[in-house]
Amino acid sequence: MDFSFSPDQQLLKNSARGFLDEHVKPAHVRALWDDGRGESEALWKEMAQLGWLGLALPEDAGGSALGLVETAILEEELGRAACPSPYLPTVLAAMAIDRFGSAAQKSRWLPAVAGGGARATVALMERELDWGAGSVQTRAEERGGKTVLTGVKQFVPWAHVADVILVPAVAGASIAVYTVDASAPGVTVTPLSSMDPGLRLSTVTLDGATVAGEARLPSAGVLEFLLERGAVAAAAEMLGAARRCLDMAVDYAKVREQFGQPIGSFQAIRHKCAEMLLDVENSHAAVYYAAWSLEHGAADGALSASVAKAYVSEAARKVCGDAIQVHGGIGFTWEYDLHLYFKRAKALEPMFGDADYHHELIVRRVAR
Amino acid sequence: MDLNLSPEDRAFRDQTRSWLEANVPRVELRTLEERRAWHRRMFDAGYVGMGWPREYGGQAASPMKMAIVAAEMARANAPAPINGLGIGFIGPTIIIHGTEPQKQRYLKKILSAEEIWCQLYSEPNSGSDLASLRTRAEDKGEFFSVNGQKIWTSGGHISDWGILLARTDPGVAKHKGISCFLLNMRQPGVEVRPLKQITGSAEFNEVFMTNARVEKSDLIGRLGQGWEIAQTTLGFERGGNSMARVTRYASAFERLIEATKKLRRGGKPLLEDPVVRAKLGKVYAEMEVQRYAALRVLSALQKGDSPGAASSITKLSYSEFEKRYYELCLEILGPYGQVTDGGLEESSLDVDSSSGVRSSWSYAFLWARAGTIYSGSSEIQKNVIGERVLGLPKEIRADRVKF
Repeated sequence: MDFSFSPDQQLLKNSARGFLDEHVKPAHVRALWDDGRGESEALWKEMAQLGWLGLALPEDAGGSALGLVETAILEEELGRAACPSPYLPTVLAAMAIDRFGSAAQKSRWLPAVAGGGARATVALMERELDWGAGSVQTRAEERGGKTVLTGVKQFVPWAHVADVILVPAVAGASIAVYTVDASAPGVTVTPLSSMDPGLRLSTVTLDGATVAGEARLPSAGVLEFLLERGAVAAAAEMLGAARRCLDMAVDYAKVREQFGQPIGSFQAIRHKCAEMLLDVENSHAAVYYAAWSLEHGAADGALSASVAKAYVSEAARKVCGDAIQVHGGIGFTWEYDLHLYFKRAKALEPMFGDADYHHELIVRRVAR
Repeated sequence: MDLNLSPEDRAFRDQTRSWLEANVPRVELRTLEERRAWHRRMFDAGYVGMGWPREYGGQAASPMKMAIVAAEMARANAPAPINGLGIGFIGPTIIIHGTEPQKQRYLKKILSAEEIWCQLYSEPNSGSDLASLRTRAEDKGEFFSVNGQKIWTSGGHISDWGILLARTDPGVAKHKGISCFLLNMRQPGVEVRPLKQITGSAEFNEVFMTNARVEKSDLIGRLGQGWEIAQTTLGFERGGNSMARVTRYASAFERLIEATKKLRRGGKPLLEDPVVRAKLGKVYAEMEVQRYAALRVLSALQKGDSPGAASSITKLSYSEFEKRYYELCLEILGPYGQVTDGGLEESSLDVDSSSGVRSSWSYAFLWARAGTIYSGSSEIQKNVIGERVLGLPKEIRADRVKF
């Protein structure tokens, strides 16, 4: 049993940290917040060159055939940088296509994703505040040998830059997931403004959108796969944001003086920082346990994904918020960078289910 | 990363499980002699003092193997070996700081529980501020004479020996004037009085020492080295039994779920109540995170890393969780969670408390209050984490002066 990163995993983490520290500084994040598109083509291409986009994709698609632990490592670093990027929905959708897709679907999308030529996303939420199959109302109907989708998907991350959108829809008696070309007729993407401008969301309207014949992912379980892996990836990103806020709070508490002493010498501040560290370290354990367990098909894989998302959603919100409290007034200013990470953690909290949502999933699993 | 047990560890787990299934006493152990006999059986089977070096009767077993035994014992609801403090950290303290004659004299009988040990550290006026302790040990030429009072002495009433911190030099800074001794508890100058706790039972004691005698050869380390030795001793106390703890939490959770199926409100089982479900889900998530974190610490120990001050994170985490956990259990169970005797047969519920005693929900709830106080309170742990893990500046302290 070994809970620590392998040398290769540690190397990946270090190189990601180094790259993001240099290329995704807070000033870059702020510039992208003000950018209409909200992400950088140059950065995306660099991510492709670094091998990040194909990290968990097979080698014949130009990937590195690594897994969810490595993906979580990158996600954590992206969260630490509050990096505005469609990385999460793209790799999540690509992992699902790799796992469930036909040969044609794989060859159509996976090399493009790995090479930086395509972005992808997943459209899970509709009218109801729910992420599961029960609230899917989008219909898939066969018309003249073609599949036609009708429905509205809300809060779809980075849909405005996506080339392909994974869309769960009711197909007869079951739920199927379709790979929808974002440029297909009948697909309308309407961006919305939200609290974290580094995580862009859109409403996706499917008004008789025609999807190509081979658009349906053949196997069952795709939606669960997306939710479980999405939950872990989001939790990893929140963990990164939380660790950044902890580091900033501790650094500040060492130098900020009041009453003639560094505020970190006061127990009121020191104890808060200690609690923040506890939350961050427990979150680390939760994220990587879940990532490993899902990746290796452990019996408690799905359960641990819910545990991680539930725990980290609350812990990251609290840690990032407490960092603002430790800073006092300066932490409440737009100019100071804390809110970049605070907002990222908060934006990811509802995504793929918040703590309440996953608490219920947990009880369904453990109390039969 | 690889969270699977190695084939060797899996085999060891299976073998331990079968041994426990065949050997765990079926009836409650009531007398000291019954408990000693069980200890002896575990010792003979190699499950006691596993982490000790071979030359002193241990097996130099890996942290993983020890965690497996602890977890399997919790799973089998096995009584703990009797000399927990002696084996857990007094013996190791003697191994690290003791003289060769001390090792020869004491270690073997600690392992076999022929002699039972307690820890004489805390005093009525020296809790978190342990270094302010006032028990004196005076050099009488041939021996030391000890006067003072200790408190919170676990197992003091059954102990033959105690590891003692006492002041030998009141003329220097308070951390520097303390020495560490081995005190024979079976002498006229030592009086032990049980201390009844909020649980109603008395695991702790007060110990009064009046001209108690300590032989010169029973000084551990040098005069004035006591505080330093206590730090290593306290270090052993932290984070050691995490896997056993999380195993007990999990078994309590199963019983909690059973209870929520049995108890009803509004014509439906509590388990169908959305508020109850929300609470259950939250506490389960927290409980699992304790398990994951325990595995992570175990993995680090297994690699030979010494967690040092970071073990304060483990202690803070589990003890605070345990309080929240049993608070929530009792919230869900209402008055059923507080019944200790009587009530309707079909509604009786039981639980393994974290003290390892098969007991009631209320006992577990009450006992959980101890965890955030003993062995360094949560507030002290947060100071340690702040200063020694996060590197925050030290408080300006008024106690670095002459005692």
